[in-house]
Amino acid sequence: MKLLTANRLTDGLVLWYRDGDDLSGWTENAVDAARLDDEAATALLDVWKARETLLVAPYLVPLVDDHTLVKREYVREFVRANGPTIGQTALDTAKLQNRGEVF
Amino acid sequence: MSLLNSSHEPKLVTADGTLIPDGWRLLADDETVGVDEPNVLGFDRALAELDGLNGKYGVRVNPADDVRKLLPFIDKIALIEVAFPGYRDGRGYSTARILREEGFTGPIRAVGDVLRDQLLYMIRVGFDEFLVKDADPQGAIAHAKSLFDYAYQSAADDLKPVWQLRQEATGA
Amino acid sequence: MYVYDQFDHAVVAARNAEFKDQVARRLAGELSEDQFKPLRLMNGLYLQLHAYMLRIAVPYGVLSSAQMRTFAHIARTYDRDFGHFTTRQNIQFNWIKLADTPQILEDLAKVEMHAIQTSGNCIRNTTTDQFAGAAKDEIDDPRPWAELIRQWSTFHPEFTFLPRKFKIAITGATRDRAAIRVHDIGLQLTANGFDVYVGGGMGRTPHLGHLIKSGVPGEKLLSYLEAALRVYNRYGRRDNIYKARIKILVSALGPQEYARQVEEEWASLDQAKIDAPYAEIARIKSFFPEPDYTAKAFDAAALDRAKAADPGFARWVRNNTLAHRRDDHVSVTISLKPTGLPPGDASSEQMDVMADLADDYGYAELRVSHEQNVILPHVAKADLYDLYQRLDKTGLSSANVGKITDMIACPGLDYCSLANARSIPLAQDISKRFEDAGYTDKIGDLQIKISGCINACGHHHVGHIGILGVDKQGEEFYQILLGGRADEQAALGAITGKGMPAEAVPAAIERVVNLYLELRTDESERFIDTVGRLGREAFAGALHEPA
Repeated sequence: MKLLTANRLTDGLVLWYRDGDDLSGWTENAVDAARLDDEAATALLDVWKARETLLVAPYLVPLVDDHTLVKREYVREFVRANGPTIGQTALDTAKLQNRGEVF
Repeated sequence: MSLLNSSHEPKLVTADGTLIPDGWRLLADDETVGVDEPNVLGFDRALAELDGLNGKYGVRVNPADDVRKLLPFIDKIALIEVAFPGYRDGRGYSTARILREEGFTGPIRAVGDVLRDQLLYMIRVGFDEFLVKDADPQGAIAHAKSLFDYAYQSAADDLKPVWQLRQEATGA
Repeated sequence: MYVYDQFDHAVVAARNAEFKDQVARRLAGELSEDQFKPLRLMNGLYLQLHAYMLRIAVPYGVLSSAQMRTFAHIARTYDRDFGHFTTRQNIQFNWIKLADTPQILEDLAKVEMHAIQTSGNCIRNTTTDQFAGAAKDEIDDPRPWAELIRQWSTFHPEFTFLPRKFKIAITGATRDRAAIRVHDIGLQLTANGFDVYVGGGMGRTPHLGHLIKSGVPGEKLLSYLEAALRVYNRYGRRDNIYKARIKILVSALGPQEYARQVEEEWASLDQAKIDAPYAEIARIKSFFPEPDYTAKAFDAAALDRAKAADPGFARWVRNNTLAHRRDDHVSVTISLKPTGLPPGDASSEQMDVMADLADDYGYAELRVSHEQNVILPHVAKADLYDLYQRLDKTGLSSANVGKITDMIACPGLDYCSLANARSIPLAQDISKRFEDAGYTDKIGDLQIKISGCINACGHHHVGHIGILGVDKQGEEFYQILLGGRADEQAALGAITGKGMPAEAVPAAIERVVNLYLELRTDESERFIDTVGRLGREAFAGALHEPA
């Protein structure tokens, strides 16, 4: 299972793919990211890699199950999903932003 | 999505913005050298054979080649092609500049990964022909030359460094 | 300070027009990301974990109050109300929109600033002593030379695609506060010209620079640098990004052979064409006069009374001020290392306050240090207490300069896409552990430097205590280095003991520090001296909890 993520071209913010075929199908809230099976994820990645006027550097984040990252990706993706952990923990940040626990 | 610049067939353009035909041909190392034909020799072959050849030739210089080794044969060289296998490899800039410092007056041509955003720097270090990948090679040259009116440092072109302009302005 | 003339303005304006065009082409889809990335990286614009980051050059760390106010404006208008001062004496903003960058560059150009030479494989912004022109131990002022180098290296056509980035540092004092031995080229200004050190650097293979030439005359400095860069451009490795810095070339050739090649190249250059003449050097020097010092009656007794009445002030004077070449002035370091906040960060309000204080007490001039603090280089002693009180109101009166909590830390994995581990939260935890002023002062001078990956932006190799964050099978893990220093006795630290998770680090450091307090001969023996005397292995055991 995988998540599809990228940065938005115009402001660089982290986006997560939810559904659809334009930018409105992407969300800044990782909680709402679609959990994609591997084949669908790879196909979607190819589609979005070509959409260079919308996104920068899309890639897939592997999951162990719905809410667990593979360990190798954990810290980096946790920080990407929740924002810098500075002055507070990433979970505090997530709570402040009403995001709930992402991973 | 519109076409990307680097996807275009390379065209040969001069530093003054003229499209020119490319009469020169890089010889494979086992091809016979034609006398007075527009042949470009590989660097090692040029070093080995130019001494015994009559006429004028082109020489292909790759990034790792020490261009100063060509100096003994410089009278037999009508064209130097400097290869840029990737635009990030900047050794060719030193190659061109050394050639100009050593008095080579023939054309120095940039070939390979030559993109519009490098042209200004190439012109400044002494290149005067470009096999450029761009939809509009002439526009690319014009754009590069329009970017900066001034340069801080002297190079191989005729732009005076800013310090010299300052001296002239104060009459010093 | 250097003031732009029509030529300087024209170069920046032309660059901004070019970048504006490149941004427009990217947004319109005429440039792919692959094509745009090297272009934005030639203009200080990175894509980090969360957003674009724009790094703005503060040439040799010198800035005016007006320039500082522009940073405040950028933080407020285009970012999330703060900026981060870097170990390269620059500032970076972490939440920048691509479409805003042309306007930001226009705002910067109005105060003679830009983002040139802050990224890419070019000659980067030259750095120097943050106390240049003020310090008592200065032999000659490095700033005019740094400006000369800035101009020469800006868009140098031969050196825009070097094997790797290239950093030059200059010092003109006997104490090296510019860390010249860990730069690609370090220049020591002496009474007889420049001593040139080459091949220093940190990263994954740290090296100290080698002295390859003494006494290069100032009027010949540029041509000598040109020769040094040309040898590097031609022969530096390009097959492996981790071996592409000049330190690897110098180490492979040997310093003597490298020096010989530079000498040969130097002799072949048309030096008269390259070296700016004396008149130009004199013109640049004319921008760095002594400030027009205001004669303020200084009452030593009044200062003593203020210190006696306000111990916080007394401590701040002791730790945050440096002797000035004039007896009635000092240089003041404003610490950006308050307990529990990210090292080097300042809010827009704090930037505005620092600008106001520079206007009121510091001849409108500020500096950024590579330790990520801000300096008022010239402050009348008579103004110290007023200055301190105003700093205190804005959270800028931390009195910890040079102390264990005055840490260098890179942005780490909280922002940086290259990092393996976080740096800032660890720095915050350490600063909380050593919050007690009496304890910190008892420990004395001690530099902790933290990097979140092997690239060593946090200078961990030259920390008295260095901390390197690594990724250990998905966990953040930290290696501790002891014995490094970046000053005139530069030395590289070495990994000591076993790595540990973040939560174990503050206590480990405390055990090491307490052992030092036990072992030092007396208060005058600093931590680094004790490590030097006894060897770092004497401290290895203390890093780990007794079994």
